[in-house]
Amino acid sequence: MTQTDVLTAIDEALDAGMATDADPVTRELQELALVLRADSPEPTAAYSEWLDRRVEQGFPRRSSSKPPWWQPLMQPVAAVLLVGVVVLGVAFAAKGLSGPSGDHGSGGSSAASSGSSGASAPSAGGGSIAAESAPDQLSKARSGQGFAPGRADRKIERTFAMELEAPVDEMQHVADQVTAVTYRHGGFVLSSSVSTGDDGSGGDFNLRIPAGEVRPALRDLAALGDVRSQSQTGRDVTPAFVTARDRLRSARAERRSLLRRLEVAATDTEAEALRRRLDIVAAQINGLRGRLHSLRLRTNYAVVTVELLAKNGDGGGAGGGSFGDAAHDAGDILVAAAGIILRVLAVALPLGLIALLGWLVARIFQRRRRESALV
Amino acid sequence: MNEAVVETVTLPAAPPSEGFAELYERTFPRVYAYVASLLHDRSAAEDVTAQAFERAYRKRRSYRAARGSMDAWVFGIARNAALDELRKRKRRAKLEGDPEDVHAPAPEDHADMAIRREIVRAALASLDGRERDLIALKFAGGLSNAEIAGVLRMSESNVGTRLHRTITKLREACHDAD
Repeated sequence: MTQTDVLTAIDEALDAGMATDADPVTRELQELALVLRADSPEPTAAYSEWLDRRVEQGFPRRSSSKPPWWQPLMQPVAAVLLVGVVVLGVAFAAKGLSGPSGDHGSGGSSAASSGSSGASAPSAGGGSIAAESAPDQLSKARSGQGFAPGRADRKIERTFAMELEAPVDEMQHVADQVTAVTYRHGGFVLSSSVSTGDDGSGGDFNLRIPAGEVRPALRDLAALGDVRSQSQTGRDVTPAFVTARDRLRSARAERRSLLRRLEVAATDTEAEALRRRLDIVAAQINGLRGRLHSLRLRTNYAVVTVELLAKNGDGGGAGGGSFGDAAHDAGDILVAAAGIILRVLAVALPLGLIALLGWLVARIFQRRRRESALV
Repeated sequence: MNEAVVETVTLPAAPPSEGFAELYERTFPRVYAYVASLLHDRSAAEDVTAQAFERAYRKRRSYRAARGSMDAWVFGIARNAALDELRKRKRRAKLEGDPEDVHAPAPEDHADMAIRREIVRAALASLDGRERDLIALKFAGGLSNAEIAGVLRMSESNVGTRLHRTITKLREACHDAD
């Protein structure tokens, strides 16, 4: 008989309660199965009644069956883990989303709190000083070191450019404040233009602010809106200044000499030649004085250009109220939300996979440990 | 062996959807018989059986029909509980004496029947733990080969092969013990 036949015969014997197979070996196995079945332990009546009652009552908790000590901690621990995962995800998301705008929008405020005191040396030949990032430069200007540390007699021509963002409906007010800040710090407005309306809102200001007041003036200007960008350039004009000053001294000395010679001139021809030379020298002096005046003006007053921009989302000309703007905003919000979800998943998925792997390993280990009881 | 007429345990088929009480009514004697066959200790068997049914009651909503019959599910829970108890007992085995015999002789047993039972019990002792587990699931638990496959997480054909090999080995052990 095959294995299947034998097992079928055993099952038949168990069902019928008797061994009837013709094959003596199979019948013996049937009898063995019946003995095994008949020898099965049976529960006592008292135990059966007790367990029946517990089943009827829905297994009420016995006083001795206390939950394990760690069971009450499970929910708080799970909640803390969940919150931790969400916070990490949101933190990563916020970091990622604020990347490009953080360099611009918060530039002013970050510069204001920056404590960097590094300074770049001026170029020896009077060339222009390379433009630096706004926060560094602003902090240098505020620390009073400027472009020529340790050289107070240096003549530096400074230029600052700042892009300020302001809501469309506050554009005019901010423009007025730019002018007010300039006057307050002893400066003046060289030129300005402000536009508001459906075609677009914005403004441009060309300001001159005393070099000693640039630092507080920039701080006040930055406080008027969100600083999108800020840059600063400096040019050392000391050589040109010194040259013009020396030439002016020489020209004045020459004029004094010519005047003395004119007083003692013996002939009319000689006197005429001296007068012509005096006219030339006088013109040179005037030119040099004008040049020195211009250089002083440029170094005593910093050139500050301020560009006013409508804040993103205000739409400038559209005013931000159209269906397209709303759809655009909704799209931005969806993208941001998807980014947050993605970052949360980036943290939660690996943790979940590790937890799943740990759970599987624990189950396999537990199963093997249990099976070891049979060995 | 001579022809034997013995009491059999009826095994009604599980309805597709039933309450816990019906499941308990149907499986309780068999679960107890299986656990007691594994543990050889009446008191421990009672504790483990109660524990198994309590666990099944509390986890009854986690049962999925796709994973097997409800009988196999309850026997899986009982088997885990029994194996845990066996492990505990192994650890403290040296501190205790032999466990009591759960197979109390029936008063109406004929002498030759009693002898036969003793022979079978002695032969069972020669099997290893996994073989005794298989015999207990089949004959004390009254499970079909498919249900045993579900409990032990192996194929039905593998269960059939192992069962045939084990009962043949048991028959030979009976001859040796006779």
